[in-house]
Amino acid sequence: MTTLHPLSIPYRAAQRVWQFAGFLVIFAFSGTLFSGGGPESLAIGGLVAASLVAAVVWEVLYYQRFEYDLTETTFDLRSGVLSTRDREIPYRRVQNVSISRNVVQRVLGIAEVTLETAGGSSAEAELRYVAVAEADRLQNEIGRRKRHVARSEGGEADRDAASTAERDVEAEDAEQLFAISDRELTMLGLVSIDLRFLPLLTVLAPLFGPAVAEQMLVAGPAFVVAPLAAIAIYAVTALASGVVAVLNYYAFTLVRRGDELRYDRGLIERYSGTIPLSKVQTVSLAENVLQRVVGYASLSIETAGSSPGQAGGSQSAVPLAKRERVIDLAQSVERFGDPSFERPPKRARLRYVARYSIVLAALVGAAFLADRATATQLYWYALLAAVPLIPVAAHLKWRNLGYALCEDHVVTRSGFWNRTTTVVPYYRVQTVLDSQTIFQRRRDLATLTIDTAGSRSLTGQDAQAIDIDVGLAAELREEVASRLQDSLAERTPAEDRLFDVDAAPDATFDGTPSPGE
Amino acid sequence: MSGNEPSETASSGRDEETPSDADAAASSGEATPPSGAESDESSASEVDAAGSAMSADVHEDADPRDSIVPDERVPDDVTASDLTIEPRGLDARVRIVWVLQGLLSATILSVIVAAIASFFVDGAGWIGAATFAVVGTLVVVHSILRYRIWTYEVREDALYLERGVLTRVRTVVPYVRIQHVDASRGPVERSVGLASSVVYTAGTRGADVTIPGLTSERADDLQERLKQLAILADGDDAV
Repeated sequence: MTTLHPLSIPYRAAQRVWQFAGFLVIFAFSGTLFSGGGPESLAIGGLVAASLVAAVVWEVLYYQRFEYDLTETTFDLRSGVLSTRDREIPYRRVQNVSISRNVVQRVLGIAEVTLETAGGSSAEAELRYVAVAEADRLQNEIGRRKRHVARSEGGEADRDAASTAERDVEAEDAEQLFAISDRELTMLGLVSIDLRFLPLLTVLAPLFGPAVAEQMLVAGPAFVVAPLAAIAIYAVTALASGVVAVLNYYAFTLVRRGDELRYDRGLIERYSGTIPLSKVQTVSLAENVLQRVVGYASLSIETAGSSPGQAGGSQSAVPLAKRERVIDLAQSVERFGDPSFERPPKRARLRYVARYSIVLAALVGAAFLADRATATQLYWYALLAAVPLIPVAAHLKWRNLGYALCEDHVVTRSGFWNRTTTVVPYYRVQTVLDSQTIFQRRRDLATLTIDTAGSRSLTGQDAQAIDIDVGLAAELREEVASRLQDSLAERTPAEDRLFDVDAAPDATFDGTPSPGE
Repeated sequence: MSGNEPSETASSGRDEETPSDADAAASSGEATPPSGAESDESSASEVDAAGSAMSADVHEDADPRDSIVPDERVPDDVTASDLTIEPRGLDARVRIVWVLQGLLSATILSVIVAAIASFFVDGAGWIGAATFAVVGTLVVVHSILRYRIWTYEVREDALYLERGVLTRVRTVVPYVRIQHVDASRGPVERSVGLASSVVYTAGTRGADVTIPGLTSERADDLQERLKQLAILADGDDAV
């Protein structure tokens, strides 16, 4: 059994006190605590000291009672201060092993290791925190043992000899697939726009908004200032996203070692993670408008790890590279060939025209009402200038939709601003469904959804063939389901044992019913 | 696990020698599996249920809340085609369940509306009543349409569902992907003697695969069939 790094005690304690300090500051400012001297401030001091002591004691206990171990077939974890929890994670069930280090952790030389499996709603094992070297060792060891377990199921006798030999082979086996160049990093900074920054801006706006707004109103009438302001907001968003993207993907490398991909990235916070190739659910290619103009694309590989997002199952395999290079890499993971996309029928465009018209009408209506309700002149009819854009937008939306059935994969594509092409091997299909909203029913359209165990389906980002003919959708639903059956027939099913028979000779774990409800 | 869950696995594990035990028990109904008489009886009843494909009365005493795990064995003479069910709708009583559930929401909504309205106008009670009448009517109409549309079919290789009033959804759930099947009974369902079957796959949408409005017998029967079909399909979970 191994314990965490001793420095995790002060670090975790400091984290707790920091959280507590947040409360305390609000408390202190809201009350009259610092107004008088004497007993109040003494009480505050006592409270702070007590919380500090409590935090340290708690963390010492946490440290003392946290143990992990790499056994032959499982990763064992024992943790918990008040109630202890024992956990055994079979290596073959591990989806991703990721390491993250922020600035403070880097200074202290510690790292957080996260193990994910397909079950549960959060990471199955979080080691906070271990030494950096230990983190790397764990990542490598778990990967190695996973392969070893998979291989030894054939019935190898001498494990030790085999593993020594493997270690030698694997050391050379590591092959670098991708390393981001300065040019690509610069390009990434220029073309990545993360609209999630917009809410942040709206939070910041009130801080120096009024002053700026006054200046702007002096500068010119609203119909000039408003678009300029929009452009400025967009530029700030783009700048912020660019900076974040560069910081996140600085020194990005992707290495293939045996059956696993491993990435390293980050300037200030360092991240590292593994993507087991045998567990790839979907591969998707994302290109936003700017990236398409300059011929770049990004690639993400999705596994069934539990938490979506950067640290979780959906991993950015290549943040940005020339499109051809990205496609080559995608093909090396899933050989889907050259899909010829079928677009939805042209009547689908009418749907988008109707949809955008309704949105615009609502905007114009709102502007009109605002114009009437307030004294300011809002030029609400200026919005009507956007009417000619509606058919263009509808056409662009339609143009970027598509699906293709390849030999072993179904490929779907959608999105104009951020076009995403998703490749799903038939073998990974979980369920297939086609759905028809009342709006789609008017035009005999339907959407085909191909569900996988990938973590993106949590956020509703399944592969979808949008607005195809309803008859075709029904056909495709059956077709994909039957190709799944065919692909299963072709594959020789792997012996699906949770634990190695040798390691768990009695049937303790077999036939355990999953908890009801 | 209750007595009529096939329990060969529980007694002998998923070891390689299991088939002989299971087969012996299945073919003769007399042989004694390692764990004793109880599992003997259950094996025999399982054969009846599966072989004649009319198991409605066999599983009366099953605990409906037991989950099953496709982890066991099916008698040799049962094939997937014996276990299929032609497309069929739900039990008519499910409309009562939906209407009652909907009316409960409608009541809460109209109380909230009335409470808000009472700040602005007199006669908020009438507004609340009107809200209840409108929403209640919608609920009733929706429940009836929903019942008419709902269809499920147990095919040879997949479960097929068709449902939805406003958004029509047709789902194919291949048996190879079934993780486990639950039977659940809410309080309202229980009051009219109905149950739901919930099918789980590793895909997150799989958790949405719920077949409501089944009589207890049908729910148990469906659970049993799906279990056996999942075993016959013998797939892995692809995660």
